[in-house]
Amino acid sequence: MEKRLMVQEGHVLAVFNSGHRVMKAEGILKALGLPVLLIPAPRQLQTDCGLALRFSEDVREEVMQALEREELLPAFVSTYRGGLFVTTWVNETDAPHIT
Amino acid sequence: MITINCRNLACPAPVITVKKALEEQTDLRVLLDDGAPRENVSRFARNRGCQVCEEQDGDGWALTITKGEQTPKPAAGGTSGERVVLITSDRLGDGPEELGRLLMRNFIHTLLETSDLPARMLFLNTGVFLTTEGSEVLEALEKLAGMGVEILSCGLCLDFFKLKDKLKAGATTNMLMIAESLLSAGQTIRL
Repeated sequence: MEKRLMVQEGHVLAVFNSGHRVMKAEGILKALGLPVLLIPAPRQLQTDCGLALRFSEDVREEVMQALEREELLPAFVSTYRGGLFVTTWVNETDAPHIT
Repeated sequence: MITINCRNLACPAPVITVKKALEEQTDLRVLLDDGAPRENVSRFARNRGCQVCEEQDGDGWALTITKGEQTPKPAAGGTSGERVVLITSDRLGDGPEELGRLLMRNFIHTLLETSDLPARMLFLNTGVFLTTEGSEVLEALEKLAGMGVEILSCGLCLDFFKLKDKLKAGATTNMLMIAESLLSAGQTIRL
């Protein structure tokens, strides 16, 4: 993938289905000192609100634990590997947003 | 043909140096380090319609760049024909502050995915919050600079907000340069 773009090999994206939820999640994770970045969701990922939180694999567990604690779990989580987005977690309690 | 040595220059200096040189020359040879400098300069020149010939030169590269016919020529009336984006706030629109900031962040991130990048982005007033420490778009601005977009922040604004030593993206500019840039631009987009 072009180095110029915001999602690179190994990046993890937590994709939300609501702008308010993702902004709240961003605030909480940043307050915990976790290195997340709010970016437009890549076109290849279907999203309702078009936003995602980007972070690296090494903080994934901490991020997901924090989101679960705050009841702000995303719709799904995808990792960018070898030029493709691989969905690695889906929120079972949500209506499906990916085909 | 002139040769410019851009070895050991940190991004975005190689692209900016080549961009400035191409304003005066129709062709040039540039010496670059391997990796991002060579990729960025090559991509920048090709996007401008130039022909790029790459030769390995020791542990680096020598690129011969020739302007093509598609290279934008200055428009009639003495304008530079360049597209300039003027950012006068850290938010887009007059609605809720949170939404405005989000929209501006999204806009700058989305610019990376477009093919017709502006030549220059000028940041004024609270726009300088986007180019200084704590900004959420520093990574995106760094990538845009690496692709040849000049990132410039108003020095007076930086001073007003006491951010002069907190500039993290691009360089400082002054009102004369801003005025000249706007007056000579082929197209100005004000956000």
